[in-house]
Amino acid sequence: MLSSLVLFAVLQGTPARDDGEWRMPGRDYAATRYSGLASITASNVQRLRPVWSFSTGVLGGHEGQPLVVDKTMYVVTPFPNVLYAFDLTQEGYPLRFKYRPDVNPTAVGIACCDVINRGAVYADGRIVYNLLDGHTVAVDAVTGKELWKTKIADLGEGETTPMAPFVAGNRVIVGPSGGEFGIYGWVKALDLATGRIVWTAHNMGPDSLMLVRPGTFKGGANVGLTTWAGESWQRGGAPVWGWISYDAELDLIYFGVGNPGPYNPEQRPGENKWTNSVLARRPGDGALVWAYQFTPHDSWDYDSNAEMILADLTIRGRRRKVLVHFDKNGFAYTLDRATGEVLVAEPFTNVTWAKRIDVASGLPVVDSTKVTGASRGNIEGICPSLEGGKSPASPSAYSPQTGLFYTATNNLCMSYQAAPVSRIAGTPFIGASTPYSAGPGGYMGAFIAWDAARGRKIWEIREKFPVWSGAVVTAGNVVFYGTLDGWFKAADATSGRELWKFKVGSGVVGAPITYRGPDGRQYVAVYSGIGGDWFLLSGDVRSDDPADVRPPADFAKDLARHTSQGGMVWIFGL
Amino acid sequence: MDLRPVAALLVVAACGRSAGGPPPSVRYAAHVSAGGTLPAAGELKNPFADSASVKQGAQLFVAMNCDGCHGGGATGWVGPSLVDGRWRYGGEDGAVFQSIYYGRPRGMPAYGGILSDGVIWKIVAYIRAQPVPAVVPTQSW
Repeated sequence: MLSSLVLFAVLQGTPARDDGEWRMPGRDYAATRYSGLASITASNVQRLRPVWSFSTGVLGGHEGQPLVVDKTMYVVTPFPNVLYAFDLTQEGYPLRFKYRPDVNPTAVGIACCDVINRGAVYADGRIVYNLLDGHTVAVDAVTGKELWKTKIADLGEGETTPMAPFVAGNRVIVGPSGGEFGIYGWVKALDLATGRIVWTAHNMGPDSLMLVRPGTFKGGANVGLTTWAGESWQRGGAPVWGWISYDAELDLIYFGVGNPGPYNPEQRPGENKWTNSVLARRPGDGALVWAYQFTPHDSWDYDSNAEMILADLTIRGRRRKVLVHFDKNGFAYTLDRATGEVLVAEPFTNVTWAKRIDVASGLPVVDSTKVTGASRGNIEGICPSLEGGKSPASPSAYSPQTGLFYTATNNLCMSYQAAPVSRIAGTPFIGASTPYSAGPGGYMGAFIAWDAARGRKIWEIREKFPVWSGAVVTAGNVVFYGTLDGWFKAADATSGRELWKFKVGSGVVGAPITYRGPDGRQYVAVYSGIGGDWFLLSGDVRSDDPADVRPPADFAKDLARHTSQGGMVWIFGL
Repeated sequence: MDLRPVAALLVVAACGRSAGGPPPSVRYAAHVSAGGTLPAAGELKNPFADSASVKQGAQLFVAMNCDGCHGGGATGWVGPSLVDGRWRYGGEDGAVFQSIYYGRPRGMPAYGGILSDGVIWKIVAYIRAQPVPAVVPTQSW
């Protein structure tokens, strides 16, 4: 067991690390969210019980995950982005420090979909995370002292920064939200030691701004211009707010790019590269090495910001270094991560916008009756909805032990009425009305296990509401996830049998982690605190704003019966 | 600013009180008056309250992305619902106009000087024309 784990770590290009800690959002460079800890197993998880909880005092959606480094747990809240550091060696886990940054409250009106934060990363003695208002900060992990603060994004252009940064070597990689504000999307690399911006790479536009260099990128010249009409690329969206992974051997970072703006596709003819794409760049200088577009000329808001999990799989008899991605468009993709070649692309949920993905060309076979546009009226029966067949906010997990991927999914469809819109910088730029309905079967979500080598669903646990939580899977062969109505659950990673559940204080939109405490025992931690799109759609009363009383969305009328807002951190142990 | 897609709408709505100057001060019935004396302020009346303006206001509400925060049909998203009959800053014509013109804390941008007064008034006309439920359900699912 131990030797296979070590081999796995080497294969993934991950520095050898103690499984007892959780230093970055995806746990390792490959973003597997897999832990080698095995004290909690399918046969004893029934005895799991809460050992500690903490109210963050914040009502916004608690996406992301805590970190555990050197006997300390770090928690970043949604706006106002407070950083808590808890001492895990003492009873009651008292605070080591609390860092309360100065965050511009103007950002609240520029965040498209709640004031969430997706977490921090630990590197070289510092906790690095993004403030909502377009700044990245590095805080000393021991003292809580701010080491540097760098402005990376422009609120005036509609950019906010809820993304969790990623660290590859001495580069801190960050990107903006703003796909609903007509931003000109980018990623930046900051120097970990000083916070200085080392390079900025745009996701479209001329090769010079995309850091496309002759000889390095083989996908053609200036496709970031030629796949757009006129200057529409300048306000074409392409945000980067999801998760990043890194193959140290190939020296490539992988990240997903979000939707083109506006939602009315008739205002931006062309394929709109590289929106809704995965990009592979060199972390050192930002050079683009390859890119692949999942949804060309998106007319459904199918962002591709979901994680790119790196694994080595046997596909049609051949061992391949792959990247696995569950896209909002409802297809799960297995790509060769050295070249971007599509190896497998199959639907993991109900899909109507495309009949299939043509693996040879990499292009979707689109159902032309589902294409939207202001001149085409109200298009009905589009599945998945723009919440995604799976939300990028709910990162999946991969177990090298079972060879399976585990992910939250949504079973929702939508109608889509596009409209012409104008852009005023710093305000929304959308142009579509998109009411949702439950997909076939009437259940709105499921937690599934997926065989990415064959493109097959292995098992699923259906849930009444959309499933919006991340996943963690362990060497104990247990997988954990949470539900919008506030259950935190454990299932057998092989069979999908539900083994345990506990009702936490609010709906779960965060991602669980597991770690070894200073006492040598294995613990599991998760945030509760419904938010993101779901409180906005299905909440009824905000306790901080008594004037905000709204009828719940008609497709999820009773979610507010089961949960209210309120952020908490939960720790469970045997 | 890229206003081309809705240029026709904006031209139609550009007449009315001249753009650029601030509107007169507004007396808010809901505000507390010091010393029992009402402030020396008046009332703003919407010059575009006819049904054609309401219809144009509905188009402008989408074209200028008001729905991006307040939701389709103004039923609420990250910004509050504008059709539930509950107002933080007043629901009369002048108060709604000023909320759009000057912006409000916690996210409402100031559109004065960017949108003409006529455009703002037509959006006010649309919002004010929406039916308000007698009771907003808070306990029944």
